[in-house]
Parts: sequence; structure tokens; C-alpha cells
Amino acid sequence: MLLIHCPYCDETLPEVEFAYAGEAHIARPADPSALTDEEWRDYLFIRTNARGPHYERWRHVHGCGRFFNALRDTVTDRFVTTYRIDEPRPVLTPLEAAE
Amino acid sequence: MSRYRIPGMGRVDPAAPVSFTFDGRRYTGLRGDTVASALLANGVHLMGRSFKYHRPRGPISAGSEEPNALIGTSRGPGRFEPNTRATVQELRQGLVTESQNKWPRLSFDIGAVNDRAYMLFSAGFYYKTFMWPRSFWDKVYEPFIRAAAGLGKSPTEADPDTYASRYLHTDVLVVGGGAAGIAAALAAAQSGAKVTLVDENPEMGGALLSDPSVRIDGRGSWAWLADQLSQLRAAGVTLMTRTTAIGYYHQNMVGLVERLTDHLDQPPQDAPRERMWRVRARQVILAQGALEKPLVFDGNDRPGVMLAGAAQTYLNRYGVKVGDNAAVVTCHDSAYYAAFDLVDAGGRVAVIVDTRDQVRPDLADAARSRDIQLLTGHTVTATGGRLRISSIRVNPVRNGRVGSGRRISCDALLVSGGWTPSLHLFSHTKGSLTWDADSQTFLPRHKTEACQIAGAGRGLWGYAEVLADGVTAGMAAITEIGRSAVATSARVEGDRPGTGSSQKELPTDRSAGKARAFVDYQNDVTAKDIRLAVREGMRSIEHVKRYTTNGMATDQGKMSNINGLMIAADALGKEPPQVGLTTFRPPYTPTSFGAFAGYHRGATFELTRKTPIDPWAEAHGAVFEPVSLWRRAWYFPRPGEDMHQAVARECRATRASVGIFDASTLGKIEVAGPDAVEFMNRMYTNPWTKLPPGRCRYGLLLGEDGFIRDDGVIGRMSPDLFHVTTTTGGAARVLNMMEDYLQTEWPDLNVWLTSTTEQWATIALNGPNARKVLEPLVEGLDLSDAAFPHMSVAECSVAGLPARLFRLSFTGELGFEINVPARHGLTLWNALMESGKAYDICPYGTETMHVLRAEKGYIIVGQDTDGTVTPQDAGLGWAIGKAKADFVGKRSLSRPDIVDPNRKQLVGLLTEDGSRLEEGAQIVLDPNQDVPMKMAGHVTSSYASDALGRPIAMAVITGGHGRMGETVHIPMPQGTIRAQITSTNFYDPDGERLKA
Amino acid sequence: MTTHDHDFTAAPFLIEERPWSPRLSLRVRPQHRETLARSLGLDLPSRIGHRSVTDKTELLCLGPDEWLILVPAQGRDDLMAASAEAYAATPHSLCEISDRDITLRLSGPQALTALAAGCPRDLGSLPIGNAARTVFDSATVILWRDGQDSFRMDVWRSFLPHVRAILHKVKAELSSGL
Repeated sequence: MLLIHCPYCDETLPEVEFAYAGEAHIARPADPSALTDEEWRDYLFIRTNARGPHYERWRHVHGCGRFFNALRDTVTDRFVTTYRIDEPRPVLTPLEAAE
Repeated sequence: MSRYRIPGMGRVDPAAPVSFTFDGRRYTGLRGDTVASALLANGVHLMGRSFKYHRPRGPISAGSEEPNALIGTSRGPGRFEPNTRATVQELRQGLVTESQNKWPRLSFDIGAVNDRAYMLFSAGFYYKTFMWPRSFWDKVYEPFIRAAAGLGKSPTEADPDTYASRYLHTDVLVVGGGAAGIAAALAAAQSGAKVTLVDENPEMGGALLSDPSVRIDGRGSWAWLADQLSQLRAAGVTLMTRTTAIGYYHQNMVGLVERLTDHLDQPPQDAPRERMWRVRARQVILAQGALEKPLVFDGNDRPGVMLAGAAQTYLNRYGVKVGDNAAVVTCHDSAYYAAFDLVDAGGRVAVIVDTRDQVRPDLADAARSRDIQLLTGHTVTATGGRLRISSIRVNPVRNGRVGSGRRISCDALLVSGGWTPSLHLFSHTKGSLTWDADSQTFLPRHKTEACQIAGAGRGLWGYAEVLADGVTAGMAAITEIGRSAVATSARVEGDRPGTGSSQKELPTDRSAGKARAFVDYQNDVTAKDIRLAVREGMRSIEHVKRYTTNGMATDQGKMSNINGLMIAADALGKEPPQVGLTTFRPPYTPTSFGAFAGYHRGATFELTRKTPIDPWAEAHGAVFEPVSLWRRAWYFPRPGEDMHQAVARECRATRASVGIFDASTLGKIEVAGPDAVEFMNRMYTNPWTKLPPGRCRYGLLLGEDGFIRDDGVIGRMSPDLFHVTTTTGGAARVLNMMEDYLQTEWPDLNVWLTSTTEQWATIALNGPNARKVLEPLVEGLDLSDAAFPHMSVAECSVAGLPARLFRLSFTGELGFEINVPARHGLTLWNALMESGKAYDICPYGTETMHVLRAEKGYIIVGQDTDGTVTPQDAGLGWAIGKAKADFVGKRSLSRPDIVDPNRKQLVGLLTEDGSRLEEGAQIVLDPNQDVPMKMAGHVTSSYASDALGRPIAMAVITGGHGRMGETVHIPMPQGTIRAQITSTNFYDPDGERLKA
Repeated sequence: MTTHDHDFTAAPFLIEERPWSPRLSLRVRPQHRETLARSLGLDLPSRIGHRSVTDKTELLCLGPDEWLILVPAQGRDDLMAASAEAYAATPHSLCEISDRDITLRLSGPQALTALAAGCPRDLGSLPIGNAARTVFDSATVILWRDGQDSFRMDVWRSFLPHVRAILHKVKAELSSGL
């Protein structure tokens, strides 16, 4: 069971309070009707499936209820960082990448 | 006093005899004994038969790594357990134990014929023997394998014990209460840190318990130990014995199983048998010590053959000598101390056979002074005896050549193949290992967790070194968490340092192919099997493991992995680190299902949600069904009624007069704020802007993929407030989805969502007399059809309770749903039942609800839809706000595959022969086609309809909407059923009854 | 000879069900928190898990835009009226959830131990006077720490039978002394 830092509660808490919510930084297109079928398909279904650092969303569903973003290594299951939903994607430093 | 018990030795209580039975015979042990030590005290070594060859076996260890002495234990009625390790199970009065895997009896076992035929049962014999002919598999091979497989008998009764679980947060968790662990715990505790020390044994001390002659800080080791434990207690350290760390998980979570009652004569009432601890530690210190390995030679499994360290433990901890005339074979110094202790306690050791050419002079002198014959540079090539060892065959080895053998008689053989650090928990963390060429063993290298490893667990030997290392580990742990303390040191006299080597199978002058030299005792894997696996092409140690089953027994290769590796590496012509170890996985030792289940059995097996009306339903004989986490009243049978009769009566009563239904489980979400209507427009397919307050509408929710996710009736309470209902199972999902859009896509909208599912009790009244039942109870609202038409909502008072009243229908009849604050739910139910007496009001359950809605063709999301059904597929195209620019899922509705006319579409089905279809049954268009037939769809809902006097069904069928009136075929085992495609709206198609 | 160092008392902890009282969920954007607090005459703490008390009205911050309000019965209508009045200028949501939860009080020397049977949080470090929304044996609960050994647990009504059943099993377990 992982420990996850909720950026809204500013506490590191047990995983059972949280729910995974898919890949992060995939914004819903402002005008879906303007998209081609292929573009819409990519929005719906195409994900990075990263081996290693992965930008993803979690929800503190049994706590403050907030969705937030996380950078987690899918190989080691280690969280590099978590950040609020409106914050930009943090740059992965070479050091973190090495980890 | 038992024959092999030495008075005045051991930590057992000579004044407290404990009576138990083994295979029906009564024995007496002492308080503090294990079953194994008590049987050994009575001269019993033979405790079981092996798994494959049914070879006689006795205990080889004195701890949880035991592969041989697995017994059935019965702690009273219903408390039978197979495969209990006799070396772990403590004696308790009246304990009933039995040997396993034998017939008719332990000393004469028919199954031992397998042993004579061992050539047939070599590695991979399953794969080779049971291949052909294919037709033999079901009738011959599988029954044979099933009959022969398995170890021990499964219990036949439900477990009467209870189990518990607990979370624990600690600064430092120390696993292993031996010298290193105690030193580490005390060092850490002196910093003021919260420290927890656990050990799987009944008492702390580890190897110290077997080494009373060592002196620490001027005291005997046992006195020193007692003092350390009281210091630990005084420092506030939590000490947990009989507690096994079974797994080490991410971020320093360690699972512990604490055994609470198995050792007690009379467990206190309600005491749990075991407790699972989920520990989160800031620092973990692994001080688990090392496991002794056997040596691999012909006949190394005969009862009486035992690890030297185990013999030393039986002697010093239990006061039991394992034989009158022992022999020793070793490649490690430690076995000498076992031999010395045995002689010093009055026993006899005939010979120490050391496979090494050189031995430490002080050890050689000490052996000589005890009249022990010392044979260095020798090997053991055979053992004699049947149910107990009687001799060994010893040969000199010169320059790799094995000389001629001679027999030496003995009644016990102490073996030591060196020690391997207990790295299981460390391996759970994916910590990497390094091969240490000096000690010829794997040691921990790269750590992935915040842990320290101390003592013999990282290859150290001798108490002085181990104690100092424990202190270092404790200091390191507290430094990591920002604390400090002053390091202490201990002075050790009479220490027992030692070194040794790792071995492949011992050299022999006989045919190696015929040697019964066991590597994995429990799975009966021999050195020959491992070499065969390599010869047959297995190159990876993981393949060798699976082909031979080496290390796959319940002891998880604690004794066999390194020996197996040494042999495999030799066969492959590689160095051990190039071959590598197989992965250790949790749990460390076999763990009961009860420990994992904890409180979750019986009524609390899983969480069950109950509505405010649930007590009434229970009192009135409802049969319940689970719906998501809820239990819901399924139907209300009257005496003598079966389900079919009860449902038919409930349907009839509702359509004829009035039925009452507990709809409290429906999800409810309050959508509030200035942008509520905009939010609703974006989420649901329907248009909401023009829906006036006081009216409601059927709402349809899609995913972005265009498939139906949920539905429900939504009331507009005021311009800025919607009362949304969801399906029972969808409540949490829908709220989560709404929150997702609101928080991440449209944070600009001023809308807030509150789950009110449980704020309201919801009771549905349906039937032509529904208004008559309700009207007398309502204040502040005109219920007439003109003033309060179908699809209206209002706040009013019902039975004196504040209510949100909906006029809607899921049955096709005049219907109302009354929401009152949940604590008043039963009050309202009773008031409606009272008011409905005159109309024979009928409580109905979810089955009748399903039938009535199916008669009207109303879908159930998740039953008639499966996550691939679009609104058009379900015939709900009318619910789409075509003028809306966007809503969730809209773009997908124009994708090419979504507009394909051959999609599976929801239709009604009426069978020609009047039989009832099975839900899930597959549908074909042409019953005469070749198999495998092309499936055209499947039945989603099927019921006996009282109103129509025949069964009805709904189905999804490819291009179904264009096939009205066509005949389709449902092939069933009894024959093919013909059915006609119809509309799903079977009953009152014009909806006249709704307008009543 | 053996060392089991559990120290359990005979009466480990007490479970009481609290009587019904009004309970409201307040939602407002963080930037409007102070304005709304002034309009409603409430002290809305800004840190999640923090509480405030004014005139017997207890407030708990549950999320960046979410507060739980426990208000005496007579104060409820006043608060609803003040909310309606403030709504146009300061959009927010005030939703009654008085019947959604039922509150248990857990007290006694083993109250923390009992909670540790189902709650994965380190509740020993939860400051007295704070509260947390978390999980107890797969049910979402709000735990209010009122004293060293005194907690309130808000549970959704339908989950209560399960939570109670687990707590009773724990109570029996602790009463056994092991």
C-alpha cells in the first residue's frame, strides 16, 4: 500500500483514501465537433502507457475529494511528486529521471 | 522424565507436564516444548512421509523453515489444521496431532512404492508421463494426479475461530529478536523513537537461546537477554513475539501475523486466533539472522538426520538430545559448537566429518579433548537404516578423488552446509543481492526501501560482531529520522565465530544417478533432478525451479534454494551469481486465510449497505438480493409462495391497485449554483435550459465514447438547483465523473455537487390507486393530474414530514416517488401502508420492479446496456438535445462505427412456444448454419409477465431496429427456440395509464 | 517464559450513537471564503482538517472549498436564511445533510486501538481538536478527535450497520485481553 502526498491536504496519506484517475494533462478539446474522427479517437483512446515516469491523475476520494496530478514511476511504483490540478507539468530533472 | 530429556537443561518448565497425542498414542512433553521437541524427547524422529516418494521423514530443523515434519493438528472441535510445522506448534494440553501422507500407517506406507519407482518420477515426469493419449487425460491421468497430489487433509468444518487486524505506525520496526535485533531496538529506543520489535518465536533471543554458554557483559547470555528485554520494556519498546513478518511492501509497509491462541490450553473468550498487523515504519531494521543449509548426499533425508544448529537448539532450548550416539558432517565451523554442547551435556559424538581439508586448530583441539574423532577432507556417501538412521558411510577425498568408504554407526546425524542470510523480506522490496565469494553466499546490496540490515542477515558471524552491527543499524535508523543517541558496545566472552563454504552435492564413489540426495525435502527434489533439468535444456534458474519444483514448496526454498543453485551452476558450468536466485515472494511462511480475512467473515464478510426501510422488509419476510453494496428486498413471499408466485402477485396487485417500493438506494446528487443548468447541459444528453422549476425529465448520461453510463429522473427544484437521481450502482461513479469535469475541465463553473443519496429515504407508490393512497397524507400541494401532471416535482409535506415529491413512473402506472429525510423513512412507509390498507396496498421488491419496467421497455443501465450501447442502440435517441452544441459524448455519436446501421440494437423478443428465455442466451439469425455459428446478439432481460400472460424478453441484436417482425433463433441445450423481434414497449404502448 | 506485551483493559472503549442534529455542507470558492464567512457570521477555517466553534456552531474544513457545519436546531433556519440572502453576491451552496450521516462517539482507553483496527491513518498523530475524512474498514468516515481518547465518527447511514458490527467484533477482541 503506497503513501500518497495530497497537494491540497498537504499530508502524506495511505493509498486506500485515493483513487487512480488515468493519465494527466489530457485536456478535453474545446470544440469536439471541430475534430476529425482520428483526432477525436486519439483524445479518447490513445495514451502513453509509459514504462518509467508517468504523469497521471489521482483523486483524494475519501479525503478532500480533490483531483490532482502526480508523477509516478511505473517501474518502481515510486511517486516523484504530486501537484495541484491547475499547476503545469513539472520538468523531470535528470536526477529524478535516473531514479 | 522422557528418555532423551536432560534434567536441568533447556527453557522448558520441568514442573509443567503437557499431555498430547501423536497418531493416537499419548505422549507427555513440557510447557515450552514444540510438538517436535516433545516427540524428540520421547525418542520419536519419524514424523511424516514425503510428498512424492512417501519416504519416512523426521524434523530437520527447529524452526519455521521446516520442510519435513508437517503434521495435522487438532486444537478441539472444528479446529483441525493440516501441514502444521511440528517445529513451530507449541504444546498445549490435549493437542491431537497426526502424521500425514501415509497409508495405512506411518511406519508401513503403501505409497512408499513410489520410492522404489523413483526413476519414473524424475523432474518433469508430469509433462512426460501424462502426455498421451489425449483421451486419457480426463478419465485416467487427472484423477490419478488429484488423488496423489496435495499434502495433508483439508479441514471439513467451518473455522470456529475469529481473526483480527490492526494498523500500526511506528518510527522503527525491527524484524527479528535475536542479538542484532535486540541491540538495534535498544539503540533506537534510547533516542526516544517509537520502536517495535517482532519475532516469530514464542520468546525473544534468537540464537542466544541456543547458546547459553556465551557470556555478554560479564553475564551468561540468558541473564543478559532477560536484562536487555526489561531495558527494552522500560524504554517503551513494543515487543511482539509469535509474530511473523510475512511480507515487506512499498514504502516500508510490513505485514505481520501475530499468533495469539494456538499455544494456549484455554484461550480467553472471544480471543482472536491470529491478528494481521499492517505496519508502516519510518525505518525498518531487518535482523532476521541466517538459515542453515543441509548438505546434499545420498540418504540425507533419513529420520535422525538434522541440521547441526537444530540439534543445538533442541539441546539447549528444550533440554532434548537428538540421539545417544551422534555423528556430524559439516562444511562450516558452527557444527562443531553443536557437537561440543552435545558432549558437554553428557551425550556422545562419534565423529565429525568435515568436507574441508583444513579446520581451525582450536576447533580441532576442542574436538580431540572431547574424544570426538575428526575426519577432515572427507565426504558422506550414504546413510543406513530404515525409519531412523543407523549408520553413515564415510569416504576420504584426495585431490577430487573419492576413496573407499567405511561405515560408522550413529543414531543421529548433524549436518551443516553453512548458513545463508534470510533475505526473503529484503527480496520482497526488490532489493538487489551480491554474491560474496568468501562466504559463498548472497548478501544484500542495493536497498529500495528505508531499511537497515543487521547481523547474520548480512553475513556476519559471532556475537561480538553481530551485537556491534545491531547497534550500528539502530543508530543509522534513528539518524535517518533525525534523532540521535549514544552508541553502546557489548563485551562478549566465549564467542562462537565461524566460517564455512557452500557446496554442491557431496562427492561420491557411487553412481551419482542413483543417489537419493535431496535438495528440496518437501517437494522431493534431488540433485539428480536439477542436473537432469539442465541437461534437458533449462538454462534459467526460474525454469529449473519450475521444471523440478525445487523451492516451490511451502518452505519457499528456505533450505533448498542455495543448494539448488550451487548444483545448477555447476551443471551449467557457470558461477552462482551468473545463474542467480529465484525471486522470493510473500508470505514468508504459510499464512492462514483467516489472518488475511480478519473481521471479514460471516455477516461482515463484505460491507452491506442497508436502507431506512430495511428493518421493515426484514420483519416482513423479504428475500433480499445484493445490488452493488446494498442489500435490497427482492420479493416478499407469503407463506407457501415461491418466487415466481410472489412476483406475479406483486405485479398483479400493483397494476390492479397500488404497490409500494423502497427506492432509497437510488443515487441522489444535489447540483447547485448559478451555473447549474449550464453544467447539466454539458453533462447530460438532454436539454435542460427550458425545463421549468417544478418539472422533471429523464436524463441520459454518456461517456465521452458515446456509450450510456447512467440514467435517472432529474428534477429542477429552482432555477439554480437540480435534484439528480442516478442508478443504484452508479451513484458514486456518476458523482465522481461530475466532480472530474467540474474540477478539471470546467473549473470556471459556479456549481457544487453534494451527494444526498442517504439524506433522503425514497418510497415509490405505483398503480391506479396511488394518488388515492397518497392524497390524504399530502399538505400544501394539489395532486390532481391537472395541477401536478406526470413528470412534476414539488416540495410539500407528506404525513407531516418535509418531502420532495416526484410524479414519475418506472412501471407504466400512475406513480409517485416521495423523498423524506432518511430518519423518517420508516414513519412514512408505515403511514403509506396504513393509508393503503383500503386499496390492498402491496409491498414489492426489486424483481417486480424489473418485470414492470421491462413490460414498458424501460432499460436498466448495466443490464440492458453493457458499456457498448449508444442512445440510438437503446432506442433513446429522443433523449438527445439535438440543438445542443456539445455535451459529454456528443462527438462520438457521429463516429463511423457508432452510426453503423448493423450495430447491436435493443429490441423486444417474444418466443413462439411461450418459453422463457435465459438472460445471456446467444441469438443467431440462421439456425442451420455450420458451427461455430455467427452470433447476432444476446438476451439482456427476460421475465414471466403477468400482465401479458406470457414471457417477455429484451435483447440486443445486430441491426435489430430494422428487423421488426423477423424471427430469430436461440440455440439452447434442449433445442433451438424461435422468437419474434418486437418493440420493447410491451404493455400499454400509448402510455394511457401514466396520465391517470 | 513468553512475552506478550499487550496491555488491554477490561472495558476497552465505549460506543455511543449521538442524537440527530442539523448538519450542513457548505461549498464556496476559496477566494470567496472570507466574504461568505462574514455574511454568515461564521469562522471558516482555511486548512483542511481544522475546526472552529462559534456559538455552539462547529465548523470543519473538509476540502479547499468544502466545510461541514454542525449547527444547533434553532440556528439552522437562521443560517439557511442568511445563506439565501448572501447567495446573489457570493455564489455558494449550502445543502442540508442532517440525515445522511449518523455520528458515533468512541471513547475510552482503547478508542485509538479500536480505530486502528480499520483506519489506515496514523490517528495517534491527529491533533486533538482536528478532524479528518478518511476510511474505516472500507467506509468513508469523518473522525473528529475531541480528546486523547475521545473521537466522533460520522458515517453515512447505510454504512453504519457494517461499521458497528466491525466495532463490536473489535470490542469483543479487546475484551479478551489478547
